[in-house]
Amino acid sequence: MIEVDGVTCRYESGGGRSTGDGSDGVVAVDDVSVSIPDGEFLVVAGANGSGKTTLVRTFNGLVRPDDGEVAVNGTSVGEDLVAARTTVGMVFQDPRDQIVAATVGGDVAFGPENLGRSHAEIDRRVEEALAAVNMSGRADERVETLSGGERERVAIAGALAMEPDHLVLDEPFTGLDEPARRSVVDRLRALHREGTSVVVVTHDLRDVIDLADRVVGLSRGRVVVDAPPAEAVGTLSGLDVRVPESCAPKDESGAGEGGSEPRGGGSGPHRDGSGSPKTGSGSP
Amino acid sequence: MTLAYVPGDSLAHRLDPRSKLLVQAAFAAAAYAYTTPRGLAALTVVAVGSLLSAEGGPRDLWGYRFAVPFLLVAPLVAGATLGEPWFRLDRARDTTLASYRVLLVLVVAAAYVRSTPVRDSRAAIQWAIPGKPGQFLGVGVALVFRFLPLLKRDLLATREAIHARAGGERPLRDRMRLVAVGGINRAFGRADRLGTALNARCFAWNPTLPRLSFGRGDYAVTAVGVGLFAVATMASI
Amino acid sequence: MSTRTESVDLVGDEAATNVARAALFAALVGAFAYVSFPHPFSASPITLQVLGVFLAGIFLGPVWGGGALVLYLAAGAIGAPVFSAGTGGLGVLLAEPTLGYLWSYPFAAALIGFVVHGGVTLRDIDTVGLPRLVGAMVAGTAVIYAFGVVGFAVVLELTLVEAFLTGALAFIPFEAVKMAAAVGVVRSDAIAAN
Repeated sequence: MIEVDGVTCRYESGGGRSTGDGSDGVVAVDDVSVSIPDGEFLVVAGANGSGKTTLVRTFNGLVRPDDGEVAVNGTSVGEDLVAARTTVGMVFQDPRDQIVAATVGGDVAFGPENLGRSHAEIDRRVEEALAAVNMSGRADERVETLSGGERERVAIAGALAMEPDHLVLDEPFTGLDEPARRSVVDRLRALHREGTSVVVVTHDLRDVIDLADRVVGLSRGRVVVDAPPAEAVGTLSGLDVRVPESCAPKDESGAGEGGSEPRGGGSGPHRDGSGSPKTGSGSP
Repeated sequence: MTLAYVPGDSLAHRLDPRSKLLVQAAFAAAAYAYTTPRGLAALTVVAVGSLLSAEGGPRDLWGYRFAVPFLLVAPLVAGATLGEPWFRLDRARDTTLASYRVLLVLVVAAAYVRSTPVRDSRAAIQWAIPGKPGQFLGVGVALVFRFLPLLKRDLLATREAIHARAGGERPLRDRMRLVAVGGINRAFGRADRLGTALNARCFAWNPTLPRLSFGRGDYAVTAVGVGLFAVATMASI
Repeated sequence: MSTRTESVDLVGDEAATNVARAALFAALVGAFAYVSFPHPFSASPITLQVLGVFLAGIFLGPVWGGGALVLYLAAGAIGAPVFSAGTGGLGVLLAEPTLGYLWSYPFAAALIGFVVHGGVTLRDIDTVGLPRLVGAMVAGTAVIYAFGVVGFAVVLELTLVEAFLTGALAFIPFEAVKMAAAVGVVRSDAIAAN
């Protein structure tokens, strides 16, 4: 259970560096409250710069809110970062920059190693996590040789090896071709069926709308819609969010432009070290 | 053909990285101590034997060919003198032996690289250097292996972009600057995303370290290493 | 460090980013070995590794800059193909004629970082004057060549003068070019991070 209560995140614009993501304001997330029960499949939708990346990064303390409170399973994130980060597994936009080892198995083992688990348990977790992303028996393969979809799945396995209750994926489909997207969607469906809560952050609902229990739409850091997908799509197409054609309003102008999120750059005001919201480093 | 780890089950592959590192250092010490025709002949046997035990061959040494010009020119420079007798054979001979010594040490190193996965080397580093410095080195070297191919590609892409816009006409300083700016920007971008990803996965100073197992063969190799060190020390007394 | 759960000693968000930057800079210095510019009168091409050493000291400071070059050497020692011409292995650090240059890199980067930032705390490099920047790189270059020439002499049993003539002289002019390039990089608006 993730509970976000009245969270506001500002980023320091003192350095004067533009984040280049179109958000002029210094408020990235503006008084957002949302709660995510265990087992839910939630889509956080919004255009580039809507604050969606910043919002989910408060779930595991990568971003510390300036106001408000985030609690995971009843414990404040700031009070126990390790608990928050093991409960909320997170997969970022470009898998190439989050895979830390040269081999698949070495990478997936990174999380449980940090938690100080025994070798036997690390082996078990790596095996299970790879099985969950359909990559059993491929622990010794080199990351360099994998396709984009396989790398995405290794990144997901790396988060799963922490055995999280919630799996958060930020723009997981960027840069993937159709078969690769489908393979990732299939894995997410299976994970959700087995009880993991999945949160997908995206500007493009087409791949995940069928899986979603609920859609939270953000614009300029504020929640503008929080509803089941069928109700939410009407509002979303006005937010530069791509929705399936069957759901889109007749007039398509603008709706298709949301797909222009730059490759590789993080979304949200988090692109470089300086202009980002305070990242939680030390103890509070 | 770049020298790199090749999965396998050779004698050298089954050894513990620590004994392999020890024997490399000991071999180098012995080679410095005995840079004589007889000493180097004996060490040649050891060097070739170690490369064969890793199922390696001449192809693994191809990458070191760039050292060869120095090794060939150095004896000539050492032998040449200003004035009579213009060329001193004894000095040229010493430097020729020294050049050959370089090749031998590289052969033994090639055997290590061919037979040792990064994970093993990392475990050896963190065994030798405990605590935070060890974790910094261990995680750091793993990341270097992981990101080197990506950054190489980034740089080549930058370089091609410069060429495509007739940047080849610019002065050397400008071309260097443009390549470096491109490389650094990509590296910083990747580093900041990587840092976030490390944190999300509870990057800790005190993780479970990879396994190491010291087997029977390792005692033999360690004995060889200690022997080489002893021989090297005796020569210098 | 706020860790709580059991005894996990988190590196902390800021230090983790510094570790990542040090590792990426080490990899960058290695990647620079692959970008070579032909040398007009030597068989060995000019590579950008020394430029990488300059920039590590300047951008990361003495501690993480020096650390980055330690990572570079350690990764090379265990086989990452990061040394000139894409070689690796402990043998290069123990026996190759150019080993002195390699061993000098962490010291040179730390020295450059220390001079540029006037201590171990980083300052905004936009505020560092040109004389200090160039002075730091000249000092770093002196360290690199001192180590390099001594190493060359020891490995090949040459006198220091012979070693200087064989292994250093032809490359020194290009260090000035690299310094100019480094100044250009530092003064470039295009560097987004830091």
